[in-house]
Amino acid sequence: MPAIEQDNPYTLEIIKSSLIAIGDEMFAAMSRTSMSPIIYEALDYSVGVTDAKGDLIAQGNGTTVFLGMIDSLVEDILAKFQGNIYEGDVFVGNDPYSGGGTHLCDVAIAKPVFFNDQLVAFTVNKAHWVDVGGMSPGSFTTNASEIFQEGIQLPTVKIFEKGDALDSVIDILKANIRMPESSMGDFWAGMAANNVGEGRLHDLFSKYGEHTVKRAMDELLEYGETMIAAEIRKLPKGSFYAEDWIDDDGLGDEPLKVCVKIDITEDKFVADFSGSAPQALGPINTSRSGLVSAVRTIFKAMTNPKIPANGGCFRALEVICPEETVFSAKRPAPVSTYWETMLYAEDLIWKALAEHIPERLSAGHLLSVCAFILSGTHPATGEPTILVGPLVGGWGAMKDRDGLNGQFSIADGETYNFPVEITEARYGVKVNQYAFHNEDGGFGRYQGGKGNYLEYEVCCEEAFFTGSFGRFKFPPWGVDGGLQGSSNYVEILRGGQPCDPPEIYGKAARVPLKKGDVVRMVTATGGGWGDPSLRSPQAVAEDLKNGYITSEQAQRVYGR
Amino acid sequence: MRVATDVGGTFTDLVCVDANGVRTVKADTTPPNFEQGVLNAIDKSDLDAAQFDYFAHGTTVVINALLSRKGSKTALITTRGFRDVLEIARGNRPDLFNIAFEKPAPFVPRYLRHEVTERLSYDGEVSTPVQLQELDEIVAHLRAEQVEAIAICLLHGYVNPIHEQQIKQRVLELWPQAAVIASHEVCREWREYERTSTTVLSAYVLPITNRYLGRLESHLHEKGLKPSPFIMQSNGGVATVKGTLADPITLVESGPASGMLGAASIGQIIGEENLIALDIGGTTAKCALIHEGKAQITTEYRIEWDRENPGYPIRTPVVDLVEIGNGGGSIAWIDEGNRMHVGPQSAGSSPGPAAYGRGGDNATTTDANLLLGRINPELFLGGEQKPDWNSLYNAFDKLAQQLGGSHEEVARGVIRIANANMVNALKLVSLNRGYDPRDFSLIAFGGGGAMHAVALAEELKVKKVIVPVNASVFSAWGMLMSDLRRDFLQTSVENLKECDPATVDSRYNDIACAAQQQCENEGIQREQMYVERYADMRYLGQEHTIKIPLADGNIDQQALKVACQEFHRAHEREYCFTLDNPIELVNYHVVVFGKIEKQPLVEKATTGASLEDARKAVRKVDFDDQGIHEADIYDLARLEPGMSFVGPAIIEDATNTIVITPHKQVRMDAYGNIHILIEGQD
Repeated sequence: MPAIEQDNPYTLEIIKSSLIAIGDEMFAAMSRTSMSPIIYEALDYSVGVTDAKGDLIAQGNGTTVFLGMIDSLVEDILAKFQGNIYEGDVFVGNDPYSGGGTHLCDVAIAKPVFFNDQLVAFTVNKAHWVDVGGMSPGSFTTNASEIFQEGIQLPTVKIFEKGDALDSVIDILKANIRMPESSMGDFWAGMAANNVGEGRLHDLFSKYGEHTVKRAMDELLEYGETMIAAEIRKLPKGSFYAEDWIDDDGLGDEPLKVCVKIDITEDKFVADFSGSAPQALGPINTSRSGLVSAVRTIFKAMTNPKIPANGGCFRALEVICPEETVFSAKRPAPVSTYWETMLYAEDLIWKALAEHIPERLSAGHLLSVCAFILSGTHPATGEPTILVGPLVGGWGAMKDRDGLNGQFSIADGETYNFPVEITEARYGVKVNQYAFHNEDGGFGRYQGGKGNYLEYEVCCEEAFFTGSFGRFKFPPWGVDGGLQGSSNYVEILRGGQPCDPPEIYGKAARVPLKKGDVVRMVTATGGGWGDPSLRSPQAVAEDLKNGYITSEQAQRVYGR
Repeated sequence: MRVATDVGGTFTDLVCVDANGVRTVKADTTPPNFEQGVLNAIDKSDLDAAQFDYFAHGTTVVINALLSRKGSKTALITTRGFRDVLEIARGNRPDLFNIAFEKPAPFVPRYLRHEVTERLSYDGEVSTPVQLQELDEIVAHLRAEQVEAIAICLLHGYVNPIHEQQIKQRVLELWPQAAVIASHEVCREWREYERTSTTVLSAYVLPITNRYLGRLESHLHEKGLKPSPFIMQSNGGVATVKGTLADPITLVESGPASGMLGAASIGQIIGEENLIALDIGGTTAKCALIHEGKAQITTEYRIEWDRENPGYPIRTPVVDLVEIGNGGGSIAWIDEGNRMHVGPQSAGSSPGPAAYGRGGDNATTTDANLLLGRINPELFLGGEQKPDWNSLYNAFDKLAQQLGGSHEEVARGVIRIANANMVNALKLVSLNRGYDPRDFSLIAFGGGGAMHAVALAEELKVKKVIVPVNASVFSAWGMLMSDLRRDFLQTSVENLKECDPATVDSRYNDIACAAQQQCENEGIQREQMYVERYADMRYLGQEHTIKIPLADGNIDQQALKVACQEFHRAHEREYCFTLDNPIELVNYHVVVFGKIEKQPLVEKATTGASLEDARKAVRKVDFDDQGIHEADIYDLARLEPGMSFVGPAIIEDATNTIVITPHKQVRMDAYGNIHILIEGQD
C-alpha cells in the first residue's frame, strides 16, 4: 500500500467524515439489538465518541436531550478514575447530579479506547432503560420526593475491568430492577454499540496514525466552532427576555415561575436563568447537565441545525444559573421528570427570540414529551407489561405556514410512535382511536398544528397509569397576535364513559385502572402566528372540508 | 431471440441476446411517453419484434409518478378512529435540531380518508363485524370527488384479510370500474402506518402504470411481438403484466434491481459468488452485497428519505441497496467552515459538468477525472464533443482560490472525497453488516463505475475488481438473466422454543400453496415454479429481525434448530454478540420463482491479435498518491480473452473508462470481462 501523506487536507477531511460516520454506525447497532421499544422505536438514546480529554467528537442522536451529556460523563470518569483506567474497562453511570446525569432511567455506558497502550478516545452511549427500580414501575413518577424513590443509583462505576465483567456489580444491578432481562439486553446493546465504535476507531488509528487522527479531531472541533461563529454573526444582537410558568412540581399545585435573559454579541451567546424558581420538592427538577443540553439544543436550532454536533459548536455559548434552582438541582432532590423543566429552558429562549428569528423558529409547540407509563398484565399470557412512551402533538405555526400536525416534542427527534398493531399484540391493551382533535386553540393567520387523541382501553383486571403532561395549565404560546394552543392532559373514562366531574390530570401518579377503563391521552395543538382575522378564506374553507376545524369554530373565530 | 429494454433517465437501453452473441442499442428516453423510446430503440436496432421469443422491460414509470406527484387522485378506506394514521405517520423528525422542519404531506388528503366501523383484534378475531352499508355513502362521495384509485387498509388486516376483502368486494359492486387495492394484496407485515403507506402508494400509481403498460403492450403487439412482455420488479425478478398490475408498487426500483441481479448472474457464470456490486451513474452511486450468489432482499424501503426527511415507507421486497448522491455530475463545493464536499447536488446533463461548456460553472467529479487525464478528451461525451477547457479551469480556479493549491491538487481532492463517500456506502453494505470485504470482489458498472473501482477496491481491501462485459447497458442485460419472482411475506410471531414445528411447517405450506396459485393465475406455469423460504427472526424482546434462509424439505425440530443456529451466527456476525433468549420467528417469507430459459453467455472471439494491437497510445495520467505516470491506453474492443498486462493503464472505449493504478495485474476472461487483482493471487 502507498504511504499516506499525513497532513494532506483532503486526508484530514476523510478522517473527519469517518469520525462522524462512527456515531451513525454506533447508533444503528444499538437500535437494532435493543430489547425495549423506548430504545428501538422512541430511539430515546444517544451514542458518541469523545477524544481522550472528553471533548465531544461525534454523536449519533435519536433525541435532542442528550446533547450535553456524553462529554460531561467522560470528564467525570477522567476526574474520578485518574490513573486507574485500563484497556477493557467499561464504566456505567446514571448519577443525575454529576457526569452528565439526567434522571436515573438514563444509563450511560462508556468504554475507553486505547491505541498502542495510549488512551485515545472514549465510546459512550446513554439510553433510557425501561425500569431501574424505585417506587414505581418504569421508575419515573410525578410525585417522588427524594431520589431514593426513583431507582438504583450508579454513581459512575466500573462494570468491566481489563476485559472481565465485574459480576458483583451486575448482580446488584439485576436485583434492583424490575425487568432485568430486558434491561440487561439493552446493556448488551449498548456494549455492542461501544464495541462497534471502538473497532472503527482502531481502524482509523492504525491506518492514519495517532498524530493525524488527533489532528483531524482537533480540526473537527475547530470546524464546529467556525461554522457556528459564522451564524452567531447573523443573529440579532442585544438583550432579550422571556418568562413563563411551569404547571407545578407534581407534589403541590403551585405554578413555578421561570425566566431567561439572553445577551447576544458578535461572538458570544449568554443565557442567564437567574430569577427562576428554587429547587422544588417534587421530581420536576433538572440538574445542570439537563439545563446545558437544553440550551445547546435551542442554540444549535437557531444557529446551524445541519452540521454534526461536536464540542466546538458550543464554545461561544455560556449558561448562567445559580445553584439549587429548579434548573440546577442538588442531591437528594428528585429529578425523575426532569425533562419537563429542562424543556422550559429551551422554550424560554425560543419564546424570547421567535419573532426575531422567524425563519428558524415557530410559535410554541406541545413542548412536553407527554411521557406515560401503563403497567399491567397481558390478558393472554398473564405476563407483566410496562408500556412506556412519548406522544405526538401539535407544533407552532410559523410566519408563513401552519404548524405541523402530530409530531414529537423538540426533546425527541428520530423518535417513532408505537404502531397500534404492535401495542395491542405486545401489551394486550386495545387502542380505540389515534386521531387529531378539534379542541380550541392555535387559531391565527397561520394555525398551530393539530394535537392528538390516543385512547387505550384496559383489557387486564388491574393496571396503573402514570403520566407527565406539562403545559396542562399554561398552553403553548402564540406569536404576533396568533392565539395560544390547547393543553396537554390525560382523561380517564371509567368504564369507557366520562366521569362527572371529569377525571382529568396534568400529572398522574400510578392512577389505578380496571378492565374497561379508557385512558384518553390528549396532546396540545400548537400556538398560532398572526391575527386570526388575517387568515385566508381559502385556508378556512380547506380546513372545514378536511375537518381540521369545526363549522362552529370557523364561524366564531374566522367569521365564516 | 431474447430482448430487454431498460428506460433510464437519459437513455433507453436495448439488449438483444441470441446464439450469435449480444447486440446493444441506446436511444433517447422520451418523457412523458416513455414507450416511444422503447419503440425507437427497437427501430434503431433493426430487429424484427416478431422474432422476439422473450421480451423484458424495466421502467421508471412508478418512481417518476411518485417523485413528481403525477399519480392519481387516491382515497383511503380504513378502520374507524384511525384515518389520521397516514398523516401522523411515525411522528419522527430526522432533522433533529431543525425547528422549521417540514413534515411530508400525506398522499391522501384528510377529506378523502374515510372510516368504516369494523374491528379485528390483534390475533385476527372479529371483534366488531364490518358495517358494509356505510360504504354506500363513502363510495358516492368518492365518485363525486372523481377519485381515480382507492386504497383499503384496516388494523390487523395482515393477520386476517376478511374485512378488507368484504369491503373491496362491496366497493366494486357499487363502482365496478374503480381501481382498488387492499393492504393484504400488497403487504402482510404488521405496522399499520407502513402498510397503509404502501397500499396508498400502490393505488396512487395503479392507473398510470395500467395506462403505460397497456400502451406499451399494444404498440409492441402492433410491431409483431408475440409473447406477453415481462416487467422487471424491485425484487430482482420479473413478473407478468397481470401480476404487476395487482401490485404496481413492486416496480419502484425496477432499474437498479436488475443491475444488481445482473451482477449476481455474471458472478455465477464466472464462479464469483461473493460480490459487492457498484453502479455509478450521473447523479448517484448504488451498491449492494451479493453473498453466496444471492442479492439480499429487504422490505424496509423508503422514498424521499435522507438524513433530514422521514420520507414514505414502502414495504415491498426490494433488492437491498444503498444509494448515495455521488455520481459523475456531482458538484464539488465549499461550506462556511472551508470544508470541501462533493455532491449530493448534481449538475445533471444540463448544464452538466463544467467541461460540457453548457454554462455549468461548478467543478464536478467528471471534470476532475478529465483534468487528471483519466478520461480521454478525444472520447469525451462518447467522442461527440471536445471538452471546454476554459470553462473547466474557471471552475477549478474558484475552488483553488479558497482552498489553496493547484488545479491538480484540488482535482485529486475532489476524487478523494467522492471516493471516501462511496467507500462509506460500500462499507454500509459490507463491513457494517459484518461481512469482511476481503472475501468479496467488487463488480463495477454504470457510466462511472470502472473509473473509480480500483481506488475504491484498494481502500476497501477487496480481492479484485471485475468490470463486466456490457457494463454500460448492464441493467438491461441483467433482466435477461432473471427469473420470474414473487415474494410473499406474512407476519405471524412464533416463539421457536415453545411452538410446534408442524405449525410452522403447515403455515409455510399454506403460504406457498396460495402463492403458487396466485402466480399461476398471473400466468406462470406450474412446472416452471420453484420455491425458496426465509424466516425473519429475532431474540425474544427485540424488535428488528434478521432474514435467515431455510433449507428445502419439511420443517421439523431439526430444521428449526439449524435455522436458530444460523440466526445466532448471523447475529454474532452483524452485532458481535449472541443471547440465550428464546428466538422468535416474526415473518414467514416465501419466494416463488418461475424458471425462465436463458441464453448462455457467449465467449468473446479471439483472432490471434497481440496485446500490442490493443494498445493504442500512452497518456500522462495522475493517479493521486500513486503518482503521475505515462499510462498505457488500451482499446477495450480490441482486447481479447487471455490477454493480460500490468498497470498503470487505462482501458477505454466510447462509453467506458477503466482506470488501473500502478502494479495491478489485469486480464480479460473468456467472456470479455476485465479482472483486476487487488490483493493475493487470482
